[in-house]
Amino acid sequence: MKISCVTTFLMCGNFDNTLAHNLFYVNMETPTQFISRIISNDRISEGFFELSLSWDPRAPVPMPGQFMTVRVGSLAVPLLRRPFAFAGFDADSSSAAIIYQKRGAGTELLAAARPGDELDVIGPLGTPFVIDTDQSKHVIIAGGIGLGPMLFLSSALKSRNIPARFIFGCRNKSLVPDTKMFTDADPQICTDDGSAGFRGTVADYINTNVSLDNSTTIYACGPSPMLTSVNKIAQSSGARCQVSLEAVMACGVGACMGCAVPVVGGGYARVCKEGPVFDGGEVLWERM
Amino acid sequence: MGANVDLSVRIGNGTLANPVGVASGTFGYGGEYEGLVDFSDIGAIYTKAVTLEPRGGNAPPRLVETPSGILNSIGLANVGVEKFISDKLPYLRTLPCAVVVNVAGASEDEYRRVVERLESGCLDSVDTNGSGIFGYEVNVSCPNVHHGGLAFGTDPAQVERLTSSLRELTKRPLIIKLTPNVTDIAVVAKAAEAGGADAVSLINTLVGMVIDVKTRKPVLGAKTGGLSGPAVRPVGVALTCKARRAVSIPIIGMGGISCADDALQYILAGASAVQIGTANFVNPKTAGLVSSGIREYCIGNGISSLKEICGVAVD
Ligand SMILES: Cc1cc2nc3c(=O)[nH]c(=O)nc-3n(C[C@H](O)[C@H](O)[C@H](O)COP(=O)(O)OP(=O)(O)OC[C@H]3O[C@@H](n4cnc5c(N)ncnc54)[C@H](O)[C@@H]3O)c2cc1C
Ligand SMILES: Cc1cc2nc3c(=O)[nH]c(=O)nc-3n(C[C@H](O)[C@H](O)[C@H](O)COP(=O)(O)O)c2cc1C
Ligand code: FES
Repeated sequence: MKISCVTTFLMCGNFDNTLAHNLFYVNMETPTQFISRIISNDRISEGFFELSLSWDPRAPVPMPGQFMTVRVGSLAVPLLRRPFAFAGFDADSSSAAIIYQKRGAGTELLAAARPGDELDVIGPLGTPFVIDTDQSKHVIIAGGIGLGPMLFLSSALKSRNIPARFIFGCRNKSLVPDTKMFTDADPQICTDDGSAGFRGTVADYINTNVSLDNSTTIYACGPSPMLTSVNKIAQSSGARCQVSLEAVMACGVGACMGCAVPVVGGGYARVCKEGPVFDGGEVLWERM
Repeated sequence: MGANVDLSVRIGNGTLANPVGVASGTFGYGGEYEGLVDFSDIGAIYTKAVTLEPRGGNAPPRLVETPSGILNSIGLANVGVEKFISDKLPYLRTLPCAVVVNVAGASEDEYRRVVERLESGCLDSVDTNGSGIFGYEVNVSCPNVHHGGLAFGTDPAQVERLTSSLRELTKRPLIIKLTPNVTDIAVVAKAAEAGGADAVSLINTLVGMVIDVKTRKPVLGAKTGGLSGPAVRPVGVALTCKARRAVSIPIIGMGGISCADDALQYILAGASAVQIGTANFVNPKTAGLVSSGIREYCIGNGISSLKEICGVAVD
């Protein structure tokens, strides 16, 4: 099934490096809970799967960076709903996609789900990436389970005819996804062992191959160490940087205060409500 | 017809039309669940703890899943009483369900000042209860703060003194929320009753720890946290039973309730009302499903009022 980006997409002409853009979206459309049906659920690389599911047409349209929570199974283990970022949305067929990694009990169960199975879904949740239309260079960086949301963002930029570089980092060749969604993004692959693409981390690649300046915006999602170094590079080059963060979640809607991350200026922000997309400058990286 | 079943519960001078509430700390200030639940299906919303000053809460990570439960170390992260009144209460007032403010403090004085402020700051309203606040649930049982909370809840003399001190300040229903982290909950429940409480609610979370064997460190930033969810239900039911034998004021039972049968266990053990906590995270509509399930049980068993079955398993 083809997943493309919707046309009703958020753009922001003068994105300034403050919390304001996030606060602006805090009271977006309210999320919906519904029973979705799995359309496909296929392995795309070692331990990674792409799942596409029906999206209730009455629910708000998901945007790149936003996520949903899924009740996996119906027993007390695993108990909490699991959060997953959208990897795509197709308005014509009203279907959404996620890319996930098998990590523990919840994702193990999800990987065993078959087309036609039902999933209890709440979404869309959290803040989306804001496309920085006043910038001339766009660099998208994805690592590990950060792949899904960045592919969604990449297709959104493409549909707007905004050129962007897509850089994907993983440990080795076995983790390079075999999917149309991925090749469509025209990715620069970086592997730690050099078994595919560039040898080294995405940070190494940017340092040696990408010129960054204050007309660049970087959008990144991936493991915390990757985001920390990407943010550092952005800061020193004057590039803007939006990152999507992760935290263990209970409610996913801003009620429990469980997903707190430390922010500059003191206190915490909720990944599920003020995030998951933050301006790199908002996050107190030393305490992450 | 369902209309013949009386599910109402009297707490002090107030009446809850529906015995199923949503527990403090699991439903924020209500608005977070806008669009996901129908608040007329909920008996009462017990707010996140309100303290005198805003509090940021504990260092992350704050959550970890455990077998059939979760361990949390949120702390008393909340907006503080002033912001609660200006930013949260106006919305809460629009809800069709009762609003019970969960109050916390580091000292008797702080608890008093929160209640005083709420009593004085809100009386101008035209709400039926005078303020849009049904009553107070006094959290003397939070395991996630170093001062106050649990420190109060484990000492019966302090519980009695704090209760009678707050009793002077309000005529609204005063509920004391008890911790399971004590040798004998009966003694603490009696102390609350002696201090003038209209009800006791139980249980708050059980102190627990999860250690990551890879890093050899506790997973939670605060090291220990509070255990909740299905895993704690038998503990809550047993303690409800114990409290029921000790006091004659109503008991509001909670801990691991995720369906009507779970709630009925608490009612049969002596609870007059119940709260849903962790299960809201699994399905925000749980409270509504539990209350309709209780109604169906009553209809199916020819019960016209919940009072008929309150405590019958242990009386
Ligand atoms: C906003 C957001 C978006 C996400 N998007 C994706 C995505 O697109 N694809 C994807 O594969 N994963 C995503 N995740 C992470 C995903 O939620 C976890 O991998 C999943 O919950 C693990 O569940 P489990 O039962 O399989 O593993 P568990 O047994 O629960 O945990 C396995 C490991 O994963 C860690 N973990 C558990 N829950 C989370 C969590 N919520 N966030 C981060 N780490 C966690 C645990 O600490 C543990 O090390 C996202 C998380 C967030 C917060
Ligand atoms: C994330 C979280 C936050 C909580 N915060 C509070 C709080 O602020 N005040 C309070 O009295 N109880 C708090 N509790 C305890 C719950 O209200 C309830 O007593 C407990 O979770 C047991 O019920 P459950 O098993 O249904 O969750 C919190 C519980 C959780 C899980
Ligand atoms: S997960 Fe509950 S506040 Fe974010």
